[in-house]
Amino acid sequence: MSEESLWYPDVRIDPSRPLYEQFCEQMRADIARGVLQSGARLPSVRDLAAWLRVNPNTVMRTYQELERSKLLVTRRGQGTFVTDDVRIVEESKREIARQAVTELRARAAAIGLTTEQLWLLGQGEEQA
Amino acid sequence: MNAIKRQDAVAVHCQNVSMKIRKKMILHKVNFTIEGGRIVGLLGPNGAGKSTLLKMIAGLTRPLSGEVRIFGQTAGAHTLDQVAFLPDRGKLPGWLTGAEWLQFAASIYPDWNRERSRYLVDALKANLDTHISSQSRGEEARLHLLTCLAREAPLIVLDEPFAGVDLISREKIASSVVADLADGHRTLIMATHDIRELEPLFDQVVFIHEGVASGPENVELLRQSGRSVETRYKEVFA
Repeated sequence: MSEESLWYPDVRIDPSRPLYEQFCEQMRADIARGVLQSGARLPSVRDLAAWLRVNPNTVMRTYQELERSKLLVTRRGQGTFVTDDVRIVEESKREIARQAVTELRARAAAIGLTTEQLWLLGQGEEQA
Repeated sequence: MNAIKRQDAVAVHCQNVSMKIRKKMILHKVNFTIEGGRIVGLLGPNGAGKSTLLKMIAGLTRPLSGEVRIFGQTAGAHTLDQVAFLPDRGKLPGWLTGAEWLQFAASIYPDWNRERSRYLVDALKANLDTHISSQSRGEEARLHLLTCLAREAPLIVLDEPFAGVDLISREKIASSVVADLADGHRTLIMATHDIRELEPLFDQVVFIHEGVASGPENVELLRQSGRSVETRYKEVFA
């Protein structure tokens, strides 16, 4: 761990949800916010698992999952890196936003608000 | 010798294991199998039979009936070299300093790995200079864990490694265990009451209650169904 300042996440674990999902969300968010920058090297599975004190398979699965969505790239013998393709990062950002909107709509619908009412509510907040 | 110790080989197999101590049934037909490379929690209330079961897995006690197998061999004197065991409330010789103890341990365990020992002294911040009798509980616990992990035994058995140990020591112990197990070459079974703190470590959990075991249950599958190990524990034992 004597490497340049590697990224270590700040995660509060919810033990009743799959851990790799929570780590994936955290990493996606950190990449979107730029806390975890394009091209940055990630800690090894072993180091990150030891740091988080979680099962190494959980970290491995997290990396695999994000490799599948092309946000992470593993280079043999070098380690795992955040993609330096900004289009992939931008797309991931939009995907996070889309999910948030879907969630918001569902919650609004659950209390009987239409998308239009929700929209007006949002504009009112902005003006206030 | 490594061929049988690889991941996915069966590490521990308990078949109809029963045990009585002074007419009291401690274990009743315990059956479970643990595959190699896993990190497994053995969970249950006090007096459930956890320590007795772990002693059998460590080859230190024989069951009254049934069989415990370690990598295919019946657990006993000839499997001692396959298991690194941390007993509950185990004591190291207080008249030795940490360094003297490690020297002694290196001389009695044929599978002692000096390089790993040096690494662990650093990672666990072991106290080498003080007599063990004047070390804190957490310091002694770290030294004891170091003694288990510095061996190359393919199976690690920890009985309540956190009991009475301070937060910082617990964190160091958990980190070291994770780092040590990360390559999947070793198997770990651990009895603990510190479920909330340790559940992120486990691949699987075995529940044991009044001498009867159930599991192993896959922890991520539990979480997929919206349950933590702790809520599952309450379901089993409520």
